[in-house]
Amino acid sequence: MSLTGRKAARYFIAIFLIITFNFAIPRSMPGDPLTNLLGEDVILSDSSVQELRSKMGLDKPLWQQYIEYWQSILRLDLGYSFHLHKPVSILLQDRMKWTLLLAGPALILGSALGAILGARAGWRSGSRREKVHTGILLAVYCTPPYFLSLISLYLFSFQLGLFPLKGLYSTGSAADIAHHLLLPAVMMTLFTLSRNYMIMRGSVLQEKSSLYAAFARAKGLYDEQILFRHIFRNALLPIITLLALDFGFILSGALFIEIVFSMNGMGSLIYDALLSRDYPVLQGSFLIITIMVVSANLLADLLYSRLDPRVKWE
Amino acid sequence: MRRSLYLLASLLLLCMLMLSTASMGAEEATGEVLKIGSPNVIKSASILGDSNMGVFAHLSNPTLMKMAADGTIKGLTAGSSEVSDDGKTWKFSIKDNLYWSDGEKLTPVDVQFTFNYLAENYPAAGWMKNTVDNISIQEDGTLVFSLNKPYSRLNLEFATYPILAKHIWESIDDPMEYTNEGENVGFGPFYIASTDLGAGVIYFKKNPYWKGTAPKFDSIEIHTFANMDVLSLALEKGDVDAYYKYAGTYPYSSIDKLKETGNFEFVEKDNIGLIFLGMNLMKEPMSDLSFRKAISYAINYSEILKLDALGYGKVPNSGFVPPSMMNFKETAKLEYNLTQAKGILDGAGYKDTNGNGILEGKDGKEIKLTFLTRTDYQRPTELMVDYLKAVGIDSEIKNVDSSTWIKQKDAGEYDLTITRSTPWGMLMHANWGTGYFDSRRTGEGVLHVLDDAKFHQLCDDILAATSEDQLKDYAYEVQDYYAENLPAIPLYWNLVETPYNKAFQGWYSDPLYGIFNVDSFLSVEKTQ
Amino acid sequence: MTDFCERLNEWKGNRLMPMIISKSGWLGLAFFSSFLLMAALSPVLAPYDPWYRFEPYLPPDELHLLGTNDLGQDILSELIFGSRASVIVGFGAALMSTAIGTAAGLVSGYFRGMADEIIMGITDIFLMIPQIPLIIVLAAFLRPSLWLVALLMGCLWWTSTARVVRSKALQIRETGYVQANRSLGFSSLHIMLSDVLPNITHVVMPKFLLSIASAMIAEASISFLGLGDPTMKSWGMMINFAFSRGGFLNGLWWWYMAPGLCITLFVLSVVLLGSMLEERESVSLRLQ
Repeated sequence: MSLTGRKAARYFIAIFLIITFNFAIPRSMPGDPLTNLLGEDVILSDSSVQELRSKMGLDKPLWQQYIEYWQSILRLDLGYSFHLHKPVSILLQDRMKWTLLLAGPALILGSALGAILGARAGWRSGSRREKVHTGILLAVYCTPPYFLSLISLYLFSFQLGLFPLKGLYSTGSAADIAHHLLLPAVMMTLFTLSRNYMIMRGSVLQEKSSLYAAFARAKGLYDEQILFRHIFRNALLPIITLLALDFGFILSGALFIEIVFSMNGMGSLIYDALLSRDYPVLQGSFLIITIMVVSANLLADLLYSRLDPRVKWE
Repeated sequence: MRRSLYLLASLLLLCMLMLSTASMGAEEATGEVLKIGSPNVIKSASILGDSNMGVFAHLSNPTLMKMAADGTIKGLTAGSSEVSDDGKTWKFSIKDNLYWSDGEKLTPVDVQFTFNYLAENYPAAGWMKNTVDNISIQEDGTLVFSLNKPYSRLNLEFATYPILAKHIWESIDDPMEYTNEGENVGFGPFYIASTDLGAGVIYFKKNPYWKGTAPKFDSIEIHTFANMDVLSLALEKGDVDAYYKYAGTYPYSSIDKLKETGNFEFVEKDNIGLIFLGMNLMKEPMSDLSFRKAISYAINYSEILKLDALGYGKVPNSGFVPPSMMNFKETAKLEYNLTQAKGILDGAGYKDTNGNGILEGKDGKEIKLTFLTRTDYQRPTELMVDYLKAVGIDSEIKNVDSSTWIKQKDAGEYDLTITRSTPWGMLMHANWGTGYFDSRRTGEGVLHVLDDAKFHQLCDDILAATSEDQLKDYAYEVQDYYAENLPAIPLYWNLVETPYNKAFQGWYSDPLYGIFNVDSFLSVEKTQ
Repeated sequence: MTDFCERLNEWKGNRLMPMIISKSGWLGLAFFSSFLLMAALSPVLAPYDPWYRFEPYLPPDELHLLGTNDLGQDILSELIFGSRASVIVGFGAALMSTAIGTAAGLVSGYFRGMADEIIMGITDIFLMIPQIPLIIVLAAFLRPSLWLVALLMGCLWWTSTARVVRSKALQIRETGYVQANRSLGFSSLHIMLSDVLPNITHVVMPKFLLSIASAMIAEASISFLGLGDPTMKSWGMMINFAFSRGGFLNGLWWWYMAPGLCITLFVLSVVLLGSMLEERESVSLRLQ
């Protein structure tokens, strides 16, 4: 099989299995969309409940539901949520735009800063300054996100009154939205930064002792030049991997940040859907995430060979 | 490179500071606003499809009847109600001065439409199809409900359904799926102007056609918070003026902090719901009455009250029903007595033959029970495990999420569970908590484990009762039944604490909906 | 202190290769061992039984150095016993995921071709499996004990290590010395273990350490969501109850800061150890 053929086959099989998992996993949890929907005063054997059941498609045998699931995917129909009373595609659009707005800049900034600062730390490893930076960023990484976010909310929004206490916006203007999103975005940036910093540092440490670096030094290049002209590109590979992974998961959002700051993003959408067993929402969200992760990985694969000529796209 | 990094960082910081100052003071003042903070988050702007939205919508679409502070049922949209002697005909007169926010007058036709419509399309009102034969309007505008059997609680049920406008809803085929984030026409003192799901706010505006007592506010805002701590902070800071949680209290551990500021007062009421130990009566040894009685002596009630409710409540009686419910009977108080507990167990045949501290059941095997626990009840469950260990019963905790809990409890896959009853939960079915135990009904939070013919008969009698005296007798019977048979053991009766900013006075609380009722919003005003 | 280090280094210097153990390395080792000791000797070190109830919400005093929690349990004792959960989950998950991930990544990156496609395909699938539903399923049908949670995490997280290892293996496989060894006829397994693996440690080490961190934080997050193991004391559960039972709002900072700091310090100690190993490696490489 040719290279592209093999790769294509692999991706297709992976997607097929993933989509099947998307169907199976929500249904493996006890309960179904009707379990938590109607409240304690509704007798489950009532006729109106049975009607609802068939509207949701829950009374059909499992294999039939599976086939219909595939049919709707191929039709690009993501279904309807009976818990949120909206078509799933609209829900996803709504929530996705907020998650992208929040996590997108955070991810890019965090990765970039993390890569740069991490590279310098790796280069100057052992220096006092580097140790302090690493120590601080590691402490950030080690703190549970809920914890750090709640404390920053308390400090900046409550004590100092600089930021609003909750919500995506109050009045809906651009400045207002930015005001609401700033603190959560900073938190996310910090977490991404600390993670990328550590990886990059390790990677540069490895590259530092390589032959080509010594050669560059022998050529007479300054530190900065060796670092950023030669080492950086090669050391960047793990970061690219991480970025590709993160980009796919950007849509599952930062659940804890959304809870602390009372924001309606993808994270809370998926979490609520999990708890209420809202199958269409779960399936729809996981599908979108799948597509993004797989395409991001594909992109990363392509980038590898461009960045490091030692890796042949054979 | 380093220098440019620092420059970038300081630029970012500057931007942050500028932004924060820029957006302050951008508040629009449109008359007097009352802001209420609530942890009951709205998932969709559907009055019938979202239970939290439904509660808030009672302000714009009041119910036919209401529960007064003393627990009696009085008219709200209805002027008066009466029932025939045989209990099969109910008559409701409709108030004459109610207008929709679009100018139309509310007529008995709207009410008739509402109940027919709900019976058809709203699962929680599905019972009406089996009970109400016909709804007709007399010449004088009185609404007549003809039932096919006596049903004493019709007026109670009608304290929960919002009255809908015929001219708006008759064109909506599927009300459960209908969402409207814009204006919702209502006939209460306020109507829903808009619902902003992203910001988590419901905006109510004064109904320009309201003819009753004028409310002191021009608009009301409900701010929902996903995070309770943030809500507490917002309350303290003054971002919201009062707190409301449907069927819930302000967290007891946060009360002191509010009291310290000196700016808050509390509406304090006895809850008609309660937290209790549910037992799977279909399994050994829970099916053994002596076993249940022994457990009731093994629980350290004052400690649970102190640790879980921080003292805001009291030790319950074996009759389960709290004193705040109508027709309360003083049954025997539950008592913590380890010797008694051990004695009963011993006498009932549960002995520790191998001396390892754990009793063996009637089948000779060691007793090991499973607690099916929801996340909210982890702490009291931990305490219970300890109490049971002290009398020689081994138990373990199975920690599950809400849907799993419902599924496994319905399948009977548990021994013990700690759960609670809501105010409406206590009132539903045949009242006095019967809805939780009658094995003929399966709803989400109910245990439906009591398969006793005597109990079933009692429930049916209550539903068919035709006089207040009859109801009172039956109520006493139910409580005696609970006390004798202990189908569940109440853990404590608690107080519902609702904080509000001292500047706002005039709150009126009813047992069903707390401070969120029409009377409250008509009387509350800003006094400072 | 410096004297002692030098003396020790001299002694070690007579061994295989010069081992310079920096001061921070010793610090890391000290913290790390104390946490391990804490976990192993909890019943001896803790002043009280962590399940025994005193008065609730007590501030720190001489009887209870860290006060008591909402049930009246001594927080210091909880903290000491809680180290066990973190050790189990942190190391269990990290070891599992790193072992699987490194093996998969090595095979995938070195052999390329069909093996690469299959393994990467499997990672794609595993990447998509969400963690929380599996934990819910676990909780429903078994008991969510910490061992199972660690196992679950390990089985789900190996994918990112695999990808990173693979990318490094792809690079290394093309280097001169590896090519040389291949042409000399050494078996693939031998090359993977003796040539590729040692050069991957620099990437695997931080991944391993960060996995420990992630595992502990993930445990804290799961406990916060209420899906944790109620039968064992853990730092994550402590933070969860501290927040949900009024510790945060009432300013009982000792209740949530202590477990939070412990998590941070434990991970910090692991990293310091890791950096010590890194320096040793880089020194030895420089001298070759």
